[in-house]
Amino acid sequence: MTAPTLLIRDLYLAFRGWAGQIDVLHGISLHINKGERVALVGESGSGKSVTARIILGLLQQTRSARVSGLVAFEGRALAKLTEAERHRLRGNRISMIFQDPMSSLNPVYRIGEQFHEVLKRAEPRIAPAAAREKAAAALADVAIPDPNRALDSYAFQLSGGMNQRVMIAMALANEPSLLIADEPGTALDVTVQAQTLELMRDLVAKHHTSVLFISHNLGVVREFADRVYVIYKGRIVEHGRTADLFADPRHPYTRALLAAVPRITGEGVPEIDDVSEDYFQPLVVHEGCAEPEVTG
Amino acid sequence: MMPPIVRLLAKRLGTSLIVLVGVSMLIFAIARIIPGDPARIALGPNATAEQITMLRERLHLDDSIAVQYGYFVRDLLRGDLGISLYTNRPVTADIAQFLPATLELIVVAGLMMILIGLPLGIISARYRGSWADNLIRLLTLLGVSAPSFVWAVILMLLFAFFLPLFPIAGRITDSYTIEPVTGFLFIDTLLAGNLSAFADAAWHIVLPAFALALSGIGQAARLTRSNMVETYDKPYIEMAQSYGFPEGKIAWRFAFRPSLIPSLTIIGLDFAAMLGNAFLVEAVFAWPGLSRYGVAVILRKDLNAIVGTVLIISAMFLIVNIVVDLLIAFINPRIRYSQRAT
Repeated sequence: MTAPTLLIRDLYLAFRGWAGQIDVLHGISLHINKGERVALVGESGSGKSVTARIILGLLQQTRSARVSGLVAFEGRALAKLTEAERHRLRGNRISMIFQDPMSSLNPVYRIGEQFHEVLKRAEPRIAPAAAREKAAAALADVAIPDPNRALDSYAFQLSGGMNQRVMIAMALANEPSLLIADEPGTALDVTVQAQTLELMRDLVAKHHTSVLFISHNLGVVREFADRVYVIYKGRIVEHGRTADLFADPRHPYTRALLAAVPRITGEGVPEIDDVSEDYFQPLVVHEGCAEPEVTG
Repeated sequence: MMPPIVRLLAKRLGTSLIVLVGVSMLIFAIARIIPGDPARIALGPNATAEQITMLRERLHLDDSIAVQYGYFVRDLLRGDLGISLYTNRPVTADIAQFLPATLELIVVAGLMMILIGLPLGIISARYRGSWADNLIRLLTLLGVSAPSFVWAVILMLLFAFFLPLFPIAGRITDSYTIEPVTGFLFIDTLLAGNLSAFADAAWHIVLPAFALALSGIGQAARLTRSNMVETYDKPYIEMAQSYGFPEGKIAWRFAFRPSLIPSLTIIGLDFAAMLGNAFLVEAVFAWPGLSRYGVAVILRKDLNAIVGTVLIISAMFLIVNIVVDLLIAFINPRIRYSQRAT
């Protein structure tokens, strides 16, 4: 059996500040197999986004951050790589899509220039003309009608949906094996978000890209993910296949999270507890979803 | 349809002209309202009443201010700013003599602000929290907190007197005789093909220009740093980092350019303000420039020279502002493209 694309085991994260140590992640474990789409779901502040920053190796550079535990990418522990090797993964083997496409693109450089920079991650010596051709093809893949015009535009000249497509094209341009989508398109209109998510799902399926999908939106997760991890205050509380977990939520926090989604039928905003002792109950794992053995 | 940048230029030139007319009226009136009889000051204590009356008549001082302004505009359109009572020469000749020295000083100081201030700010932001950042912040704070004439004296003492690395005063060593063509020593020495004189002039300008530039360097560096630190928190920088763009490139291109806009505005203002601030530095370094001339003529209530000097300085101010506006439009596509809509 090949190593999973991403394997996280007992990951701890704490920030050391003036007021002492603040624990953020209390030993989370998760894995993503090749070509699998896995969602990490939780409320803001639960530790979703820091997990993404750790996978990219960015948070380890922050002096106040204390990270321990195993993060292995394609069977190789990140901690055992040199900084240069970790840097080589970024934007190349692992890429990321952000929440707000409008502000994730640099306002004073044309899309084409930024795309060139992205392509250089895989091919450092790529010529501008070749890069442009590749970028135009990538933009055509995400159904942007006039790729050359888009490449000559600045982010503020394109719509939010267009920018999101550009971000998706950039993220997949270097054929990464892992795509991290951190609340993708949360800042967009619901309809635009739905369109771009569908597009993204088709593309990652085509390229067999593994995806870590970070979200608080359960509706989107249900449509997009194969498996779901629910995270609460730095602990994974429930883990299972998407269908199983939605059909039979077993952890009190998961049930609260599901109940918290306002119904379109108009039953009002549901009342749930802010914090409950029940939310700290131990991890519930659904059938057939055990974490793999760590080898090597 | 004009290109947007030309439209911007035309608009700025138009408003600048209006400002210039306003400034000329204001300074013209103020110079005449402040107490003291220019004719009496010019002729000295031993002048007779007839002499004073004659001079007052020649200067139209007994007419109303509006009429005097009319005479002034008529002469100005012929390129005549009148005779200076202080030097007894046409004001235009005085300005032509003194302006190049000051411009040279200010241009060099401005370059120092850009070439030293901005990189210091970038380095400070890129390595924020490090010893380099703290050192730069301390030094730039010193630069901002003391006025330029204090720096002029300190620099002169340190690097011209105790440690004679630089000449102590003046624009050029007296032994060089350079034919004044443009009045700009850097240009004239090159026209004369005299490279050692050029080097000598460059040597002379280092200390005064640096003294003048120090507060600007400090401001530019501090502003660039704080803007860049803010920019570093923007999602597009996080995006650049998560894609592994080289850190140097992120600092010098992706974070710097969006942060440059406020710094440019400040440098532009500093640049223009130096025309006035140059006075004390010029006095310390015996620099034969326009700022010294301007203060001398104000003390003597030399009406024509005051108005002429102020007009030139205002024009410079406006030109610098136009240049800065164009640069910002060039750097910031949002401004460049919004011109199309107006």
